[in-house]
Amino acid sequence: MEQEYALKQELNILDPKHLRLFLDEFEDLTLELEGRGTFKPVTVMRAFPVTDRERFIILKDKAEKEIGIVRDLSDLDPESRAALAAELERIYFTPKIVFVHNIEEQFHIPKWEVETDRGPRVFEIRSGRHNQDLRVLGSGHILIRDADGNQYEIPDYRKLDPVSQALIEGQI
Amino acid sequence: METEETMPEASLQEEVPEEVRAGLNLAPDEEVRVSLSTDIKLDGHYGPAWVLATDRRLLAFSPDGEGPPDIVQVPLAEITAVEIRNLLASGVLKVRTAREGTTLALFSKSLLPKFSKVPDRIETLVKQARPAGDQEEVVKRTVGGAKTAQKRCKQCGRPIREWMGVCQACLDTRKLFIRLMSYALPYWGLIAVSLTLLLTATFIGLTPPLLMRSLIDDVLAPAGGRVQTAPSAQGLRAEPPPARDGGERLPLSRGRGGTSRLAILVILLLAVNISRNALAAFRSYIMSRVGQRITFDLRRQVYQHLHRLSLSFYNERETGRIMSSITQDVSRLQDFISEGLQEVIRNTLTILIICIILFSINPGLAALVLLPTPFLIWATSHFSKKLHDIYHGLWRRWAGLSALLADVIPGVRVVKAFAQEKREVDRFEGTSQALLAGELRVARVRSLFSPLMTFLTSIGGLLIWWVGGLKVIGGTLTLGDFVAFTGYMWQFYGPVESLCQLNNRFQHAATSAERVFEVLDTQPDVADRPDAIPMPRIRGQVEFQGATFGYEFGKPVLKNLNFVVEPGEMIGLAGHSGAGKSTLINLICRFYDVQEGAVLIDGHDIRDVTLKSLRDQIGVVLQEPFLFNGTVAENIAYGKPEASMDEIVAAARAANAHDFILNFPDGYDTFVGERGARVSGGERQRISIARAILRNPRILILDEATASVDTQTESQIQEALERLVRGRTTFAIAHRLSTLKNAHRLLIIDKGQLAEIGTHDELIAKDGIYANLCRMQTELSKLKVW
Repeated sequence: MEQEYALKQELNILDPKHLRLFLDEFEDLTLELEGRGTFKPVTVMRAFPVTDRERFIILKDKAEKEIGIVRDLSDLDPESRAALAAELERIYFTPKIVFVHNIEEQFHIPKWEVETDRGPRVFEIRSGRHNQDLRVLGSGHILIRDADGNQYEIPDYRKLDPVSQALIEGQI
Repeated sequence: METEETMPEASLQEEVPEEVRAGLNLAPDEEVRVSLSTDIKLDGHYGPAWVLATDRRLLAFSPDGEGPPDIVQVPLAEITAVEIRNLLASGVLKVRTAREGTTLALFSKSLLPKFSKVPDRIETLVKQARPAGDQEEVVKRTVGGAKTAQKRCKQCGRPIREWMGVCQACLDTRKLFIRLMSYALPYWGLIAVSLTLLLTATFIGLTPPLLMRSLIDDVLAPAGGRVQTAPSAQGLRAEPPPARDGGERLPLSRGRGGTSRLAILVILLLAVNISRNALAAFRSYIMSRVGQRITFDLRRQVYQHLHRLSLSFYNERETGRIMSSITQDVSRLQDFISEGLQEVIRNTLTILIICIILFSINPGLAALVLLPTPFLIWATSHFSKKLHDIYHGLWRRWAGLSALLADVIPGVRVVKAFAQEKREVDRFEGTSQALLAGELRVARVRSLFSPLMTFLTSIGGLLIWWVGGLKVIGGTLTLGDFVAFTGYMWQFYGPVESLCQLNNRFQHAATSAERVFEVLDTQPDVADRPDAIPMPRIRGQVEFQGATFGYEFGKPVLKNLNFVVEPGEMIGLAGHSGAGKSTLINLICRFYDVQEGAVLIDGHDIRDVTLKSLRDQIGVVLQEPFLFNGTVAENIAYGKPEASMDEIVAAARAANAHDFILNFPDGYDTFVGERGARVSGGERQRISIARAILRNPRILILDEATASVDTQTESQIQEALERLVRGRTTFAIAHRLSTLKNAHRLLIIDKGQLAEIGTHDELIAKDGIYANLCRMQTELSKLKVW
């Protein structure tokens, strides 16, 4: 069991009580860490952007060096949490697809015409990278990355209208 | 049959004929311990000869034509070496004494498995025969290693064709089918339903000609009779004269009665059509369902079994073959179970019923229908056999073509570098041409086949038209009967043809079944003993006690290894390639069982504990780490699926993998691709180290963990490994000796034996193999600097 303990020590988890995150006047995300000073701008990323978006948020300094890990977004105080969530939201911009007009495949490149919660959109998915760019997670959840790197998601495609469903079924 | 478990005494003692015994002049108290027949005499001719070992001498008895037999004898106590010479196309058993060498037996390669056990046995006998105190080793040797090329059938001894994998001569088709049917048993309800549907549909399918008869005789003909000027119509027309029983029918058909009867018949025909097709659709769904369920069961069972089998099973077989038995063979069986069998039932039944109906209508005509049948049967069997053979050849040519492609396309850089494009194109063209020739042959046979069939059946038809037509004209047969007759006749030939072709289908299914069952029947060589106990938490003491092991008969890779490794010790394994380092590790993991001696962990013989409990506590990092198609996180947690995110991230950090993982846009959720193709070698390696760290193994095995990465990555990996090694018994194999600098002790293996053991300094001081290796590598690294 001593081994287990040693392993946990490897984790650089930040104590949520001792940190504050906010946007400064330049709209840069700033981190105040008790005992270690202020970092800005801070870049953030999710360690598990697909499977768990609320936990394991990695904070990095200007030099891309890891400052530490926020283990769970909900541990933070409301302001820090809002600031961090907003930043993540911007980084991982992922509109939700609410309706699929058409999916047309030419030369094995599927072209999607969809309606998202942010408006209409047409995009293509690179061929031959299906399981990577069109990821079907459990319970109908689908994540899509288009040929240019934009992301979309469908929280549960089985809840869409029958037309969209049929079109999506043909792709997964 | 050769099983290794049988006692050596039993398998190495064959019944010796009396004349051999007599010829050898054995002393009355002399005990025969080994007696083996060979198939080549000492003079090099085929024929039975004998090798015997008694408690005091080795004897060879070899008849020599008319003359007295050759007899060779060597006293056991003088023997210093026993040799099996595995030559290119034969084998020799030879012993050496201090003064000379003697050939005791010649044998063909077929007997190699038997003879390769002899040296061990003789060694024991020699040791027993020597005066006590003589501890000199008896050298056992297997010289040469020409591989026995052909796999042979265990039952009949016939060579097995490589791509076939089963001995076709020994296929017990009936037994296979009974076994196959046992898979259908759980679905007997559905099968019964389907069979009932099948029978019903068959019966219904047979009614239309009867209805047609009624339509013509009872409805149309009388009506037609009315139009004509009745009795005089006899002349040229084929219509039956209303004379025969028309007397009763005429009134019926006249006026409204005829029309309603027509309506009824047409509706009946419609109903027959609808119900027949509906039943067929329903049945086909049910049967597909049964078939798919059976395939599913079989596929799962085969796959499950594959994972129980030991590594040796996989070493002997090609991956492609194993895969095809899960996919293709299993689906072929499904086709057979769901369709093949029912086809037989349906066709047989149809033929029988039609025969009955035909004979009841008109026995003479029925006999005519049967007339072309023997030809039909002959032609169908002949052609389908011929087609089958041609197809087989064709299939092999196709395989050749794909093999060529699979060979050349990945090697296209070499082709270009040597400017051999034209030659490759020509080579392809040659193969392709052979394929073309094959296809054309198929086309020829096929295009001949179906016209011939049509011709044969139409001869039957013509006969019926002629004879039946005459009968109709002569008034002995009604037109309706005639129409019904021809209708049945056409329905008759189809089933006959397909029954004839069924044999091939059976043969195919039998081959597939055999291949599938072969997998299912293979027992793992390494398995839990019935009384195996779970391994308690390992402290880490590893002991080899006289461990001997080889992958093949009589060719030990590791010989009599003895050493003890203390808990927490890091052992570096070094030695030339092929010295047996990886084999040693395979034994610790119990991928194979030792043939002699034992491997103990904390004093437990590892054969006495369950495999799972043992391997759960062993972590392995291989030279070519294997990642599965999944995310980074899934791969790290492969050995511990319940691991939390904390553990995964911590393990990745400990393995120096965290930073590069976060450089992927999907972080820990990044797909690594098939076999980890989307991450680099060094990254793969660190992921696999994280996997080992997370498992928290008690014994750690590093098999050339840093051999395939560049120096900078190596230092990162080394750093990660140092963390991993702490407090665990570790075995590390490395060619670059610098990697072993942290090892407590080094174990040098040479030609399967433990050559040196000790610390770096001790071994350098000893100035043996290790010191030599070190010097060579220092030389090399000096060169690199320059």
